[in-house]
Amino acid sequence: MTAILAVDALSVRYETPDGVVNAVNDVSLEIAAGECIGVVGESGAGKSQAFLAVMGLLAPNAKVSGGAKLRGRELLGTDPRALRELRGAELAMIFQDPMTSLAPHIKVGDQIAETLVVHKRTSWRDARAQALKLLEQVQVTDAARRLTQYPHELSGGMRQRVMIAIALACDPVMLIADEPTTALDVSVQAQILSLLKRLMRERGMALALITHDLGVVAGLADHVTVLYAGRVVEAGTVRRLLKQPAHPYTAALLRSMPRIDASVSEPLVAIRGQPPSPRELVGGCPFHPRCDLAQPRCAEERPTLRSTAGAMVACHFPIAASHGDLS
Amino acid sequence: MSASFLKIDNLRVHFPVSGGWLKATRRLKAVDGVSLEIARGEALGIVGESGCGKSTLARAILKLVDVTAGQVVWLGKPIESLSTRQMRPLRDSMQIVFQDPLASLNPRMTVGEIVSEPLRVHRPHLTRAQRKAEVGQMLERVGLSRDQINRYPHEFSGGQCQRIGIARAMILQPKLLVCDEPVSALDVSIQAQIINLLEGLKRESGTSILFVSHNLAVVRRLCERVLVLYLGKTMEVAPSDELFRAARHPYTLGLLASVPIPDPDVQPARLEIALSGELPSPLSPPSGCVFRTRCKFAIERCATQVPVLESASERSQVACHRWRELRENAG
Repeated sequence: MTAILAVDALSVRYETPDGVVNAVNDVSLEIAAGECIGVVGESGAGKSQAFLAVMGLLAPNAKVSGGAKLRGRELLGTDPRALRELRGAELAMIFQDPMTSLAPHIKVGDQIAETLVVHKRTSWRDARAQALKLLEQVQVTDAARRLTQYPHELSGGMRQRVMIAIALACDPVMLIADEPTTALDVSVQAQILSLLKRLMRERGMALALITHDLGVVAGLADHVTVLYAGRVVEAGTVRRLLKQPAHPYTAALLRSMPRIDASVSEPLVAIRGQPPSPRELVGGCPFHPRCDLAQPRCAEERPTLRSTAGAMVACHFPIAASHGDLS
Repeated sequence: MSASFLKIDNLRVHFPVSGGWLKATRRLKAVDGVSLEIARGEALGIVGESGCGKSTLARAILKLVDVTAGQVVWLGKPIESLSTRQMRPLRDSMQIVFQDPLASLNPRMTVGEIVSEPLRVHRPHLTRAQRKAEVGQMLERVGLSRDQINRYPHEFSGGQCQRIGIARAMILQPKLLVCDEPVSALDVSIQAQIINLLEGLKRESGTSILFVSHNLAVVRRLCERVLVLYLGKTMEVAPSDELFRAARHPYTLGLLASVPIPDPDVQPARLEIALSGELPSPLSPPSGCVFRTRCKFAIERCATQVPVLESASERSQVACHRWRELRENAG
């Protein structure tokens, strides 16, 4: 398996007047061509920070270490001009809020065409013609008229489709989608997810799907990486993770989700407390203060990510397959 | 069923929308002829996509927006035409929890001030010490500690802020608690905490809940009955066990099929589009059945004739010309 994107021991930290903030700690993952990887975690888990680092879009005061290779080519520390050519062309990213990621004063057709003009040196006339095709590919109804509209004239779902059209303009090998459906209705969410799935299949494009919703992951992802407090706590195939979670955090997340297909007679099992702020340093396992299975050792020694029966788990006392089987 | 203490009859909330200079003002029908009842201790869920009128309906019941037509009867008394002043003594019996936990708390007030303010307004006879005791008790009931009484909202996480919002709403022991998307701004692991808290409060206090949410899985947990709204009109009302087992309206079925299930054996197939298109503009709703433009089963009749909300079983109603036929075909 050749990885399209290989992230190796990536760390992101900020030195602020209030102390050091460790946003991402030693995160490694690989994404193969045409594969979808789900990156799951709560707010502050470091999922967006890790991929913004890959894109070279972090604030200037961020200290990034480790590596991120796109088709063997190192991205971190690359000259900003070279990176700008890759970004949008080979590697594209879409964000949660399509309103704030589109320029409010430029017609959506021109925003799509601009990508082609900048990266492919296409003429504006040709680029606008291609923009129309792209809008049709992302299933925007009445595409010709939409080209001349401004973002505020479109619904949230339409705006996200426009963002996807911009991201796809130069036929990237890898798309990073950061909570692409969180701001949308469930009905539109299902439409956008099935669109992403179709586009992946048609173009052989790899997708990193950053989300907090395990249901979204279940529909699209081949592999899943779970982040907690900036660290990978569990990684494996989507079936292994959702059917037999080995890390108590993954298992607890699954139990705390209200499901439309499960009995409501049993109370939801909430995870107590809240995710740690990246400012706090939790000794030992970062999840131990909220973990029902924690032992004294968990507070003292940080578990390393190691392989157990088909998954990578960072836990001293991973759940054995027979206990963790939720199916 | 005990006498319902909130009854809404044919409620309409229309907003004038200026079409521009010299252009006619149009009417946005946010809520257009909704009737519902809530019994004591019952939780009713209002579901639908953004823009369907859920929040406007909730706010109209509390008279936080003006009612255009129809009746809101609260504890046997019509309240839709009461003035702000006449409404004030009734407000202690109906309270609301908002979606954005931090934005709905005054950043310059301490938690103690926020939670005790309803007491100062509605229970002026209480002494300072009595208020403080009640606030302390309430904070503990929602899972916070008495020691946090002098802290400010920014010192709390989103989930804790929502607990403060719930404490402020529950301190007057309201008979009706309106929750407008109370968990959608929270992290997954925190959502369950707040859902369990609301479940507990409902059980202990017997408060009725009007629960507005787009998250059907959450509604299923908390509510005994569900009302499905689309472009300001009721599509279906049914007890939860009935609705989630065998919904009748094509819109409800589409919404249910759109909810992701965290099971890789099931979810990929569910991604096949359940509901196509998006909510049409409420300024120019479709003729006939408002849902017909997105309905897989729409026929000519749906464009010309508005379906009436008819009884489908003892406790459920549905507004669809074809529900019987669709159900027979499915069965």
